[in-house]
Amino acid sequence: MVKSTSKDAQDLFRSLHSAYSATPTNLKIIDMYVVFAVFTALIQVAYMALVGSFPFNSFLSGVLSCVGTAVLAVCLRIQVNKENKEFKCKTIVTNLGGIVAMFVIAV
Amino acid sequence: MMNLSRSVALISLFLLPLLSFSFSVDNPTDRRVLVLLDDLSLKSSHSIFFSTLKSRGFDLDFKLADDSKLALQRYGQYLYDGLIVFAPSTERFGGSLDSKSIADFVDSGRDLILSADTSASDLIRGIALECGVDFDEDSSAMVIDHSSFSVSDGDHTLIAADDLVKSDAILGKTKIEAPVLFRGVAHSLNPTNNLVLKVLSASPSAYSANPSSKLSSPPQLTGSAISLVSVMQARNNARVVISGSLQLFSDRLFRSGVQKAGSPNKYEKSGNEQFATELSKWVFHERGHLKAGSLVHHRVGETDEPAIYRIKDDLEFSVEILEWSGKSWEPYVADDVQVQFYMMSPYVLKTLSTDKKGMFHTSFKVPDVYGVFQFKVEYGKLGYTTLSLSKQIPVRPYRHNEYERFIPTAYPYYGACFTTMAGFFVFSFVYLYHK
Repeated sequence: MVKSTSKDAQDLFRSLHSAYSATPTNLKIIDMYVVFAVFTALIQVAYMALVGSFPFNSFLSGVLSCVGTAVLAVCLRIQVNKENKEFKCKTIVTNLGGIVAMFVIAV
Repeated sequence: MMNLSRSVALISLFLLPLLSFSFSVDNPTDRRVLVLLDDLSLKSSHSIFFSTLKSRGFDLDFKLADDSKLALQRYGQYLYDGLIVFAPSTERFGGSLDSKSIADFVDSGRDLILSADTSASDLIRGIALECGVDFDEDSSAMVIDHSSFSVSDGDHTLIAADDLVKSDAILGKTKIEAPVLFRGVAHSLNPTNNLVLKVLSASPSAYSANPSSKLSSPPQLTGSAISLVSVMQARNNARVVISGSLQLFSDRLFRSGVQKAGSPNKYEKSGNEQFATELSKWVFHERGHLKAGSLVHHRVGETDEPAIYRIKDDLEFSVEILEWSGKSWEPYVADDVQVQFYMMSPYVLKTLSTDKKGMFHTSFKVPDVYGVFQFKVEYGKLGYTTLSLSKQIPVRPYRHNEYERFIPTAYPYYGACFTTMAGFFVFSFVYLYHK
């Protein structure tokens, strides 16, 4: 029983990994950026747990700016992803530069 | 018309000096004292006590307790500042006096000396009960002590008591060496009542019973629970002395020598005169009466009182306390006056230091809590008037521009913002121009 579940977990992980490597590079760049932003936010939360919430305003500004840019990067990824046909008509501009421009202005 | 108004003005001019002799806040020693006696021979049998009072400037007015013209007030003004009731067997006072009017008299801040004796009437017991003192219910009981009696006495009812309260304010600085002679009834105090105090207690071997009949059951009042002389200081600082023996104030016991049974010391003169004199000085506010000026507080380095403090401010606090010496206001010297910085509970409690001229001061840092605080001085030393002063002051937190420009603990957050900006910049380049 145990052997089969661990083998299932390994198979699952390998299939995920191979599927992910098939994604285009630009999407991977966006993913890295999102991971970086969320990681920075998590570091700040861990620091606050250690030191206490004294300048709470500073804590909020740090965390929310990281989380905000992560969210906007995810939006960019959704709009740029060629597999999401249904979003194409929702964007105002359809070319890549326009979408990136929207992201820049939002940040 | 003119003549009438001028004569009225002249008469009032003559009356003005008389007003300064009455009891007032600036001159707290009483002046006019009504003495109620149930027998005019008390004037001569207690003449030493009355003459010491007169020599200190008191205006004694002797009246019989059932005199029909007795009145403490007229037209709403009190006629007397103090009352001495040496009438233990009076059932009813004459005139407009009764136990309620005496209770009102004490409520108005005036002082009372009440003495019961072996035949204390219900009226006297009732007045004592209003003041928190409970005389023995048995009307024929006296205090008997088979080991602390005076050797000159036959049936052990003349007690030689030396269990005095330790208070310089009540009994004066000079120690009373000789025992105090006492023959009378016992009373007890409710232990939860913190306004009454035993000045002269009986020894542990004393008890209260009828001396001429055999005891059928153990006596109710025994030992040190029996108080022979008690005092009460009311919340408005009126002072009351209640004694179980009228003979304690008599000339005979003042002059007699005393030797306590079982003790080799023989004293030429009992401690009664010194005891009664010192106690009368205390009860008529010649000693132990304090007055406080207003509380003054300000920031260190300033002189004006601010309307609001900020947390972690340094402030200085001072208060002036004077003591009445019998004739004038002297600076009060003590090392146990404390101030509290209070909001629901004292956040700061400091003992004030004195400059021996009546000013008490201290300085401390405002605590790191904001709200509306009070400076409170609550002083209740044994024998002294209670001081209860307070002044309210709010405390605010830092304004947003009173913080440091860059808070050191927040550096990681500042760093996070800048790395996010840098990351975004790098990301946008990489994303647009990668191959």
